[in-house]
Amino acid sequence: MSEMWVNMGPQHPMTHGLWNLRVRIEGEVIKDVEPEMGYLHRGIEKISEDRHYNEIITLMDRTCYVAGLAWEQLFIVAAEQALHITPPERAEYIRVLSAEFQRIASHIMWYAAFVQDIGLMTPFLYGMRDRDLILDLFQSYTGGRLTYEYMRVGGVRNDLPLGLTDRCRKVCDWLMDRFVEYDRLCLSSTPFHERCDGLGVLEAPEAIAYGVTGPMLRSAGSRRDLRKDRPYSVYDKLQFDVATATTADVTGRYLVRMEEMRQAVRIIRQCLDWLDDHPGPVMAAQLPRWLGAPYAPVGNEAYLLKRNYPTGVGFSMVEEPHGEAGAYIVNDGGEHPYRVKFRSPVLINIWASKRYLPGYRVADIPPIMGSVDVCVGECDR
Amino acid sequence: MKTNELAARLTSKFGEGILGVDEFPGLLGRVRFDAAIASKLFHTFRDDLGFAHLTMVGAIDWIDHREVFYTLWSDADRVYVMLSANLPSDAPTIASAVPVWPSANAHEREAWDLVGIRFEGHPDLRRIFMPEGYAYHPLLRSFKIHEPEDLEVKVRSE
Amino acid sequence: MSGQTPLPAKVPPASAGPSAAIADMPLEVIGQPGVPFVEIETLRAREFIPAAKEALTSLLKEQANGKLIRPVFNWAGRNSLFPLHWGLACCAIEFAAAFGARWDAERFGVVPRSSPRQCDLLIVNGTVTWKVAHKLIALYEQMPEPKWAIAMGNCATGGGPFRTAYSVVPGVDKLIPVDVYIAGCPPRPENLLDGILRLEQLIKERGA
Repeated sequence: MSEMWVNMGPQHPMTHGLWNLRVRIEGEVIKDVEPEMGYLHRGIEKISEDRHYNEIITLMDRTCYVAGLAWEQLFIVAAEQALHITPPERAEYIRVLSAEFQRIASHIMWYAAFVQDIGLMTPFLYGMRDRDLILDLFQSYTGGRLTYEYMRVGGVRNDLPLGLTDRCRKVCDWLMDRFVEYDRLCLSSTPFHERCDGLGVLEAPEAIAYGVTGPMLRSAGSRRDLRKDRPYSVYDKLQFDVATATTADVTGRYLVRMEEMRQAVRIIRQCLDWLDDHPGPVMAAQLPRWLGAPYAPVGNEAYLLKRNYPTGVGFSMVEEPHGEAGAYIVNDGGEHPYRVKFRSPVLINIWASKRYLPGYRVADIPPIMGSVDVCVGECDR
Repeated sequence: MKTNELAARLTSKFGEGILGVDEFPGLLGRVRFDAAIASKLFHTFRDDLGFAHLTMVGAIDWIDHREVFYTLWSDADRVYVMLSANLPSDAPTIASAVPVWPSANAHEREAWDLVGIRFEGHPDLRRIFMPEGYAYHPLLRSFKIHEPEDLEVKVRSE
Repeated sequence: MSGQTPLPAKVPPASAGPSAAIADMPLEVIGQPGVPFVEIETLRAREFIPAAKEALTSLLKEQANGKLIRPVFNWAGRNSLFPLHWGLACCAIEFAAAFGARWDAERFGVVPRSSPRQCDLLIVNGTVTWKVAHKLIALYEQMPEPKWAIAMGNCATGGGPFRTAYSVVPGVDKLIPVDVYIAGCPPRPENLLDGILRLEQLIKERGA
């Protein structure tokens, strides 16, 4: 049978974003794939070279639009290292709280989109309903639903409003019940197992060689989680387990993400208890003046010359909902960073489809690529 | 493993090829090396030192030269290490890391696309983000940010 | 519109705004929608029935005259807009939320379709880069007439925060004609619904 190339994308219900999967098929069997990215390349690294540190946070929300707070945390950890600033501990706990809620929201968004791909329509409505509750919490302390601009170099913008921790606890209780419901909807469904079991298998050694991280790697039995392996922020003071599975297939990735959401609720509850007991400042006290006033007032240009900029480098890797994200900031002593480089887990996870797609059928592509959890914003940057 | 321990092991093996091992916040260290020994160094890090994960490949344009950096992770030691090499601006060429870590493929295509580093031995060194045929490497310092017209003309003529 | 049906008596007062409403919302109402849509629903009920009457009357009249039945097409078309299921960037997440449980855009007859051949509305929900520009134009041209376009969010309207970037089209109206612009970065789902309702109004006024 003759071979041919088929384009799946950039407009295709499978892609969940703006990218193109070129597939070489022989009949129904996939022989080779060639993912094409860059349709959403917005030059965030270049724009960052022209912006003040606190202004780059705006771009971070839009880099990964389903996990904005996680990417804010990624950038902030690196920027504080580059600028030699230590945030207060309460700010760190609020950041972890936000990042873990963001992880649940991102996984629910993945769940809603992925399960719709394999033909179950109800979970989409259930998932979006529960995700909106988390976004309501974000809205009440950051002001935004999707783009928050909440974290700042040196802390967070504002403290949590009164009574928020109790609302968070109620949402946590509600979510724990819903996770049982999610599992019941999917795992008791025969079509789910028929379309997911044994597909897209990527064993751990290959996954490491191909740079795959996050739930995709942990579904292959690896216990790699940067929150445990290289604790940043206050993760070393919190108790949680690393979610793993052994099947290395689509169902395994589903199970890992579900367990990660339960562990995230566990982390959130510890953070809430700590935050209730430890009131305090949420911004570092000794911030350099230029951080708050990025531009010189008109008529006072000499102010620019008086500033005392530090130099330094910042390197951070965080466990983002999609995998391991990294940032490398070179600060050569100016108002703007000299170079900002981000590592996107999604770019590599998609690219590794050259390894885990060939051999399966064309109809298996939506479940397999759905299980990757694609966010093209951070893939293309 | 400590930074000075790593420096001693690398210098005894490569001698002049290692230009220095610096302290680096949050990392085991930054190894500055000569681009000529790149391929051997990659094999050493993967096979002898146990750095199985390649997490990042990027490049910086320092105007008079360009810097390529690699960050690696070791599961046994639970540390990151950064390798960095300086390349001349007129011929920024270095051996590809794809034979050692297959994940370098996408990273190196990105570094070629945005900063214009040539990776010798890369199986498929094409642009990854910008359209094929785009004339610039946008993350060079000489590239002005308000310059979309060339791309516009290029896309419309297709 | 001549014969207005009177408003139902039990209309809750309009809230001060979505954010205020949500900040005051106690968690006990967790299963209920956060934003009251009774208002929009009554508006539609007030508009829908007279418009149907008007369209059917003119249909009968024009058929008697042997003319085309355009008002019926107009009425039916504007009440069943099928947008293209295409996620570009951040706004696509809010686009999805608008079709979720809380906002449920399908009440308005808006059903996303995956093929441009089945669509009459292109919602550009995100940043358009030059690399995807000719694909966007191709999709727009594949849609059958009559068709409309909504620029959702600041990026599609004018480049947004990425206006200065080298790869971004500063506004999708450089590529295709746009009927309704929705501001916001990203716009809330209510804004998207409002934009769709305004487009329906526009279609009615144009009478195409």
